[in-house]
Amino acid sequence: MPSTPRNRLGDLERAVMDELWSTTEAHPEGRTVREVHDAIGVQRGLAYTTLMTVLDRMAKKDLVNRERDGRAWRYTPASTRAELTSESLHHTLGELAGDTRRSALLHFLDESTPEEIDELKAALAELESRSAGARGGASPGASPGAGSGRA
Amino acid sequence: MVLVAALVVLAVLLAWPVPRALSRATSLRRAPRAALVLWQATAVAAVLAALLAAPAALPALLGRQVRVADGWPTLALAAVLSGVVAVRLLLSGDRVGRNLRAARRRHRELVDLLGVAGEGADRHLRVLEHTTPTAYCVPGVRRRVVLTQGTLERLGSEELAAVVAHERAHLGARHDLVMEFFTVVHEAMPGFLRCDAALREVHLLIEVLADRAAVRHAGAVNTGRAIVAMAGGPRPAGAMAMADSTRVAAARIGLLDAERIAGLPTPVVATMMYAGSALLVVTPVALYLAAIAGLTLV
Repeated sequence: MPSTPRNRLGDLERAVMDELWSTTEAHPEGRTVREVHDAIGVQRGLAYTTLMTVLDRMAKKDLVNRERDGRAWRYTPASTRAELTSESLHHTLGELAGDTRRSALLHFLDESTPEEIDELKAALAELESRSAGARGGASPGASPGAGSGRA
Repeated sequence: MVLVAALVVLAVLLAWPVPRALSRATSLRRAPRAALVLWQATAVAAVLAALLAAPAALPALLGRQVRVADGWPTLALAAVLSGVVAVRLLLSGDRVGRNLRAARRRHRELVDLLGVAGEGADRHLRVLEHTTPTAYCVPGVRRRVVLTQGTLERLGSEELAAVVAHERAHLGARHDLVMEFFTVVHEAMPGFLRCDAALREVHLLIEVLADRAAVRHAGAVNTGRAIVAMAGGPRPAGAMAMADSTRVAAARIGLLDAERIAGLPTPVVATMMYAGSALLVVTPVALYLAAIAGLTLV
């Protein structure tokens, strides 16, 4: 992918979050811009001020929290990676209002309740038997172990 | 004046009874592309009829063939219809467009932050560390296909190929623009006129279209298995089940190898739907042109 400025910014935010997440146990008090810069900025040839700006932006986006420590800010991740993942999935699964959600993100499948899965399995069984009939009993394209039993 | 009245009636018909009837014609789903064109033609024709109603009255007024005092009920109706539709469409288009793009941008930033990126041909792919099997795409210029770890664990390779082909078909054919257009028109309508069934049907049609791409890629059976496997996974607490989702998923499985509509070969019905679509869009334009021509003819 061509490395556009916006892409690089996204990569950098990612690297910062990875750094904060991976050091959160060793440094529960958080990391300063200087420490983050030493960890990921130096090897990338980034200026100290670049990371300061990025962390500032990320604090405004509520991705990180910060606290004053003398003259510097200490940054901590606002949520763990698992929390944020679960939050983003909930976001896709229900938080957006119906119509907007349906058009904003196109899902492979909308939510369904487990009780209704039998109906789906019946429809699949019909499809499989039609398909087997059409191809002389062979089960076309079935990959080993990909049977309907796994569902 | 007859032509103006005809445009008003046409707009009302296309906004009220036609979408309701079309959403009940479920056998049209077997030709999803033609059906989608028919839906778009219906919406475009309804909008055109409403927007052209007032302008169609102008020639007769300017030519002094009709006095305002005589034709005022029709004139007022046409003026209100065109004006209200124009304003509501602009507002709805602006609001829906901004909301969608903001929601997509926020979400894309989040999956970029969290997901493991694919490489090469898969560079738009992101895998999230989560057990719930979910697959979706974030449309737009900086598009993404998002899968969860749960999806990768639950699906066989052929089924996974079907899911990815399905999402890629959405992105490649810009199904998001189709949905956006219908959402704009839907929300531009006053509440009592809105037809939720119509929006759901259009949504189902783009899913059926994307399923076709998955079938071409991985076969009907594997696509069907993918749908069942994705439906049967564990769900995070608090996720909302859509009321009709299972019916929709079952319908999709039934349509994976569908070939005939009401006894007629699908291409015949599809051709009829394309012809009907063309007729629908031409009708309001023809009525308007006739009204303009009336200025010189009469």
